[in-house]
Amino acid sequence: MAVFMDLNLMFSADRTRISKLLETAAHLGFSTVAINYMFEPTLPLQEIPVPKPINELIDQLPVVQGRSRPIRVLNRLTVVVSDPSHYRPNAPEYRRFDLLAVQPTSEKLFHAACMLYDIDIICISVTEKLPFFFKRAPINGAIDRGVMFEVSYSAAIRDSTMRRYTIANAASLTDSCKGKNVILSSAAEKALELRGPYDITNLGLLFGLSDGDAKEAVSSTCRAALLHAETRKTASGIVYTARSQQEAPSDPPEGQFWCRSELSIRVSDKNVTSTCAGDTPAAKRVKTT
Amino acid sequence: MVRVKSRYLLCEVNVSESRDLLLLDDRAVAGAVRSAVARMHGDYGAALCSIRLSVKYLNVHNGMVFLRFPKSCYQLLWSALPFITNIESRGQQIPCFLNCLHVGGTIRTCQKFLIRYNTQQLQRILPKCKNAAEKDQVCQEILNCLPTRGSKPTYEGGSEFEDERE
Repeated sequence: MAVFMDLNLMFSADRTRISKLLETAAHLGFSTVAINYMFEPTLPLQEIPVPKPINELIDQLPVVQGRSRPIRVLNRLTVVVSDPSHYRPNAPEYRRFDLLAVQPTSEKLFHAACMLYDIDIICISVTEKLPFFFKRAPINGAIDRGVMFEVSYSAAIRDSTMRRYTIANAASLTDSCKGKNVILSSAAEKALELRGPYDITNLGLLFGLSDGDAKEAVSSTCRAALLHAETRKTASGIVYTARSQQEAPSDPPEGQFWCRSELSIRVSDKNVTSTCAGDTPAAKRVKTT
Repeated sequence: MVRVKSRYLLCEVNVSESRDLLLLDDRAVAGAVRSAVARMHGDYGAALCSIRLSVKYLNVHNGMVFLRFPKSCYQLLWSALPFITNIESRGQQIPCFLNCLHVGGTIRTCQKFLIRYNTQQLQRILPKCKNAAEKDQVCQEILNCLPTRGSKPTYEGGSEFEDERE
């Protein structure tokens, strides 16, 4: 059984607000949530935000409704791209986040985001009329690469004109992608803007999703997005490199570099025999290459 | 036997402050649903609402609501429920949202679900008990809930759950 996820809770510096959001999400039955940090390069004096560790935000994670586990909290970065230079591939700042999303504002950037950028989620803007039409080619490319499209609904709850834009944009998206790879998330700033998973599923019907697609949009498609994010961090989900703490005295930069070189070899060879680069000692690792 | 079919939605009214719930009444909830449907679906929705929409049950202690919709159009009417942001009751605006927990074809299945759900809630508050007396009381309540034989007044679990939380 798939668990419900909400991959977009807006970050705010207010601790009580975040903890209230998390508690409500757990009460509604979301097993996994992602705290979203927005990054708009066009605004002056902006730097890529650094995710706060979750234990600084909340003392004790609430237990999910109907399960005995505490809620799982991830970090996510959304970059609003209005110029190709705004998205920097392989920026080290991006690696701190579990999920990476972009919100393209023009057709060219949407095309690039679908076909080229190494991201997990493409946000569809819901607060304005869409400045371009969705074309089948980039959307099919994105579906092939496993990139998800995200529609958030809390703007629709706040305001009547936003509701029109949300429904219009979401309907035109579902027309072109035929309901595949769509995720529905809240983008809630306050706890009262969250909705239960079954309500969201039914809301999906307004956006033109079918019953099954709408249910997947809050459960298994979100899980696919998370798995896609993991493959972005690792090489095809097989090789995983981590800086080990014990080896710190003996030249760590070289060791790190070596890990990277192996990683690139594995990817280029498409050699999918499982190797574990993380925990073998350095001497052994040299032999295996 | 042919009967008029309906869908019963078991919803939970979520508010930020639990004392606001005591202000709610049936008519306020029905009015909020009607106005939300009219806002979302226009005259057509309002017309569908006027057929058989009713609030069958409302527990002001924990905010449980049974809504009855005609079966033919319940999805359309349900899709308006997320857009309820506040309920006007006794001249006050209560900011809240409705969270649908269960959709049933009869009141009876909804009631069964509600009893199970309330038992679950008791189990959830068990670790939060501060002293042994409270804990015993909650345990006793859980045991009382388990055999749902009908001899017990059925919604009691819900109201006592609220007393525990105070």
